[in-house]
Amino acid sequence: MTRSILTRKSVIIAGVALFALLAVLLSVALYPSDHVVQPLAYNHKVHTENAGLGCADCHANAEQMASATIPSLQVCQNCHSGEPISQSPVERELLKYIADKKEIPWKAIYKVPDHVYFSHRRHVVGGKLDCSVCHGNVGEFTKPVSFEEIRVTMENCMSCHQQQNVSNDCLACHR
Amino acid sequence: MPRWAMVIDLDKCTGCGACMAACKMENNVAIVDAEEAKAGRALLWMDIITTHEGEYPNVLAKRVPKPCFQCDNPPCTKVCPVRATYRNEEGLVAQIYHRCIGCRYCMAACPFTVKVFNWYEPRWLDGATTCFNPDVSLRMVGVVEKCSFCAHRLQHNKEVADLEERPLQDGEYMPACAENCPADAIYFGDLENRESTVYRLSRSYRASRVMEDLGVEPKVFYLSKRMT
Amino acid sequence: MEIKRRDFLKLFGSISGALVLNGCGLDDVIELPDTLLEKATGGPGIESWSNTICSLCPGGCGIRVRLIDGIPVYVKGNRVYPVNQGGMCPLGLNALHALYNPDRVKTPLKRSGDPGSGKWEPVTWDDALKTISEKLATLRKEGKSHQVGFLGYDERGLMREHISRFMRAFGSPNYYQFSLTQNDTVAYQLLQGRSQVPAYDFLNAKLILSFGANFLEDGYSPVYYTKLYSRHRERQTRYIQIESRMSLTAANADWWIPVRPGTYGALALGFAYVLIREELYDVEFVKAHTLGFEDWIDQSGEKHVGFKTFVLGNYYPERASEIAGVPSATILELARELGNTRPALVLGDGGAIANTNGTFALMAVHSLNALLGNFEREGGIFFIDEAPFQKHSAVPEDATSRKGNRQTPIADSEDVAFPLTNFSIDSFAKNVLSARPYPLSVLFLYRGNSLFQTLNHHDFANALRKVDLIVSFDSVINETSEYAHLILPEHTFLEKWDEVPNVPSVGFTHVGIQHPVIQPLYDTRHTGDVLIEIARRVGGTVGAAFPFDTYEEEIKYRMKGVYSSGEGAVATEGVRQLWLEYLQQRGWQIGRYASFEEFWDRLLEHGGWWNPIRKKKSWREVFRTPSGKFEFYSQKLKTSIDLLVDEVGGRRSPQNVELVLNRLNISARGDTVFLPHHEQVPYEQDMPLHLITFRVLPNRDGQASNLPMMQEMFGYATRRYWSSWVEIHPETAATYGIADGAWVWVESSIGRVKVQAILSQAIMPNVVAIPFGLGHTSYGRYAKGHGVNPHWILRNLYDLISGKPALEATKARVSLAS
Repeated sequence: MTRSILTRKSVIIAGVALFALLAVLLSVALYPSDHVVQPLAYNHKVHTENAGLGCADCHANAEQMASATIPSLQVCQNCHSGEPISQSPVERELLKYIADKKEIPWKAIYKVPDHVYFSHRRHVVGGKLDCSVCHGNVGEFTKPVSFEEIRVTMENCMSCHQQQNVSNDCLACHR
Repeated sequence: MPRWAMVIDLDKCTGCGACMAACKMENNVAIVDAEEAKAGRALLWMDIITTHEGEYPNVLAKRVPKPCFQCDNPPCTKVCPVRATYRNEEGLVAQIYHRCIGCRYCMAACPFTVKVFNWYEPRWLDGATTCFNPDVSLRMVGVVEKCSFCAHRLQHNKEVADLEERPLQDGEYMPACAENCPADAIYFGDLENRESTVYRLSRSYRASRVMEDLGVEPKVFYLSKRMT
Repeated sequence: MEIKRRDFLKLFGSISGALVLNGCGLDDVIELPDTLLEKATGGPGIESWSNTICSLCPGGCGIRVRLIDGIPVYVKGNRVYPVNQGGMCPLGLNALHALYNPDRVKTPLKRSGDPGSGKWEPVTWDDALKTISEKLATLRKEGKSHQVGFLGYDERGLMREHISRFMRAFGSPNYYQFSLTQNDTVAYQLLQGRSQVPAYDFLNAKLILSFGANFLEDGYSPVYYTKLYSRHRERQTRYIQIESRMSLTAANADWWIPVRPGTYGALALGFAYVLIREELYDVEFVKAHTLGFEDWIDQSGEKHVGFKTFVLGNYYPERASEIAGVPSATILELARELGNTRPALVLGDGGAIANTNGTFALMAVHSLNALLGNFEREGGIFFIDEAPFQKHSAVPEDATSRKGNRQTPIADSEDVAFPLTNFSIDSFAKNVLSARPYPLSVLFLYRGNSLFQTLNHHDFANALRKVDLIVSFDSVINETSEYAHLILPEHTFLEKWDEVPNVPSVGFTHVGIQHPVIQPLYDTRHTGDVLIEIARRVGGTVGAAFPFDTYEEEIKYRMKGVYSSGEGAVATEGVRQLWLEYLQQRGWQIGRYASFEEFWDRLLEHGGWWNPIRKKKSWREVFRTPSGKFEFYSQKLKTSIDLLVDEVGGRRSPQNVELVLNRLNISARGDTVFLPHHEQVPYEQDMPLHLITFRVLPNRDGQASNLPMMQEMFGYATRRYWSSWVEIHPETAATYGIADGAWVWVESSIGRVKVQAILSQAIMPNVVAIPFGLGHTSYGRYAKGHGVNPHWILRNLYDLISGKPALEATKARVSLAS
């Protein structure tokens, strides 16, 4: 004689398991870039304090274009052009990349989807926002950026727009 | 607040179809294969309506380019259950793809059939995918799309104008169809700007709109002496 | 309810399957080489622009390409380029689809199966060039250098000179070009002594009467003429179109006059009758600058009938009406309008010349211009000079090449035929097949698709099979190159250098500079560079003929002449009319450059150079005829036919004249032969309907069929995307019981095709029209298997004088397909 597996207890357990599964999936979907590991252990603090660099010195396009770029190898070569200028083992890794003429495969943390128009220039030059407002105090980071300070979600963008009294019209960003 | 409109001079337009092709290229509109096209599913944001009137040999051929008319009183936005299509303050009727649930109610509501639907995953024909215009997102299966007056261009143009602290000049923001027309038949601009070309032309004795009695206030004016 | 464990597991399985979501939006299939793919998806997004020239049709429009991180993503018109001034046609906008086409040939290929089998093996450039140059060197050694042929397309300017140079240095007279626009200028050659397509001043003319010239859709430069046409309201220009089927141009004209196919000449002469009879023609001009209007006596004392007597005696309106199917009241009305309007332009192209009597018909049409005095005046006809290029040095020849160049060209008719052709594909195929006067060992194919476009496709295909080595330079394999043994893929136009000078029929001297906007995507090479290398491998004087290492250097060399002349200017914002008037008032010199380098940089930046000022020509330059006048009685034609008569025995005997005229299939006799006249087309008596073909803007001559968007847009006007159709007048359709949209067989004496019928008021009764361009059996995945090729069922007939394919000389019947 077979018994139905659909007892009260089993339904509750299945329900809880399904809920847990969904929760895990959702969290993975909503928090994708949790603690990404970068190929080079880049230290922002050393560069801002010791070298006196500002954000726009390396991330040049933030003031000219829609996307601020992760600097290419050429930008590093402006200072690191052959001889090591510090004791850091990380710098030696960098010099190897330079010698091999290989771009460092940085993993982009902040990704704006293709259906959104986001212009750095408008926010930095037009809105006069400091980089730290969205990206955090990156200048103080000793480890490379590995997660989003403010997650790139529609809610986050719209709430700031609302506070700053800037358009929340769909067509201002959607394309 | 600008109100964007278009004027198409039918006496200059030859019906060559450059506007159709320019629009498809600019907006990454998918190309459909022969079967789908036969079923009437060609995705044409800018279409050219060709009709012949009269009897041989006194035949009047009409070729009328038809983009979305971006109505000021749009029937399509009133029926959308999720506000995926709506009219913004500048008179542009937007289509937000991620909100669209594909019910196609708006397609039925539009009296001009300017809305098209992605019946299948826009499986771009092999190789035709490579010239994505990065300024326009790619749509997915099951969403409605339509002419947007190249609103993505407005985003760029507005940014430049705002940074220079000036208003947009007449002719600075132009959709791809107007830019590429070989007969210079498509004019585009701000109806609220008394000095703009579209303001002047929309009041020409040759100007008329399609199905004005419906009360949807289309913002595409047709200039024609030869045809009514 | 009871759910057993088994059922539950099955259910769970299907749910989890559905959780694998379908990828949304982005399609992964991108046909880019891997190196570019990385840049395309991960780059910083830096935008740049580059101006070049489009080559998807002979129109030569300037285009502006938008690049993101160096990858082209969008093409639009170049606002400063004078030919198109920012306008584009739907075809040019597909430039990127041509660049990224998945069917592009990526490396040199060698055929390893039968033609059309699709079996190709990749080979290296070195191997391919070695094979070719060894074969060529052997032929030279054996004194057979003339057994090499080069079949080009519609190239002109430097590319044509480059190929001519190669063939001349090598020692072969067999460089030919075949396209649907070749052999168009014979009528102008006969009447005016100029084998050049004229330019028409549409802006200043008040009436434009077009016999079949579909200038808004087909023809040499639709965008240029569309721009001129768009001014018709402000310039108050009236457009009248005479055509059997309402083309795009006719649809936009003020008046469409349907005419029976093959009768354009008779209609033109009907107008001439009225102009002459009612003295509406330009009497001064005709008296001073034409030969043969009145009856005349030549130097040997022979009397000749004048054009006036001839027309008045033969082409009274009722007769012209009977032949052409146009009511005589219309002929009277239109001719009077033509005669009373100044300036009034007359042009002929399309259906008027695509028939056996095409040259004679165009002579009749062009004669109207002489009657109206339309030369060297505003609103008239002009011949545009070439840019002042620096000339190359003379081609070096050695004994072998001299001998080879003296041989009879292989496309010359064995029999008496086509006395004034640039190239007869009919004679070419026949001669190659019969190896007379000699066999063809090597044939180079440069672009184009002769096998697809020609009427004698069986003969031509068989002729191709006879050639030992066929080498094709093209970026996609098409019907003709399926017969090639070696494919040497060339760059698409966005990846290469070229000089695009003087688009035919554009009203000013200009040179467009085409330059690469991106490095070649694949292992392709510029044909010009390949020819240089082949020449160098063959060695001797052949190699010495090319002192430049690359084609790019040759362009620069030629442009030095333009720079030194000080004429014209690099294309700038100054293309508007007011600017031109300013320049004309103040003399001409806006181009001031510090050096040739600066000139060259500006040239590349803007896209080209032009000279809008036309130098006034003397009458001797306008009419390069023996008499220095417009010759109603064409002495050139007389001389050519006299030569043929001499070949068969001499002019003394009238039988020889009769023999030649019969062989040429000319039914006129006496002076009429050399005057513009209506030559009847030998239509089949047993077929009821005229079959004509036409070309649409998204496709032109079939070359755009590998572009998916153009295939989709092929029949946008009739809502027949991707497919062919046949247009039939409703009355005609009713007699055969054909409803709109029904599938029908269109059958000629050659064969039949099955298409859907479209009933249309915009076509003459008893005429059916099928668009040309579809029906490919090769040429890539988008071209293959769509539509039908109407040329497959046209009779193998050609224009009597020029050898141009007679596309409207076939009749057919139509029946419902079951």
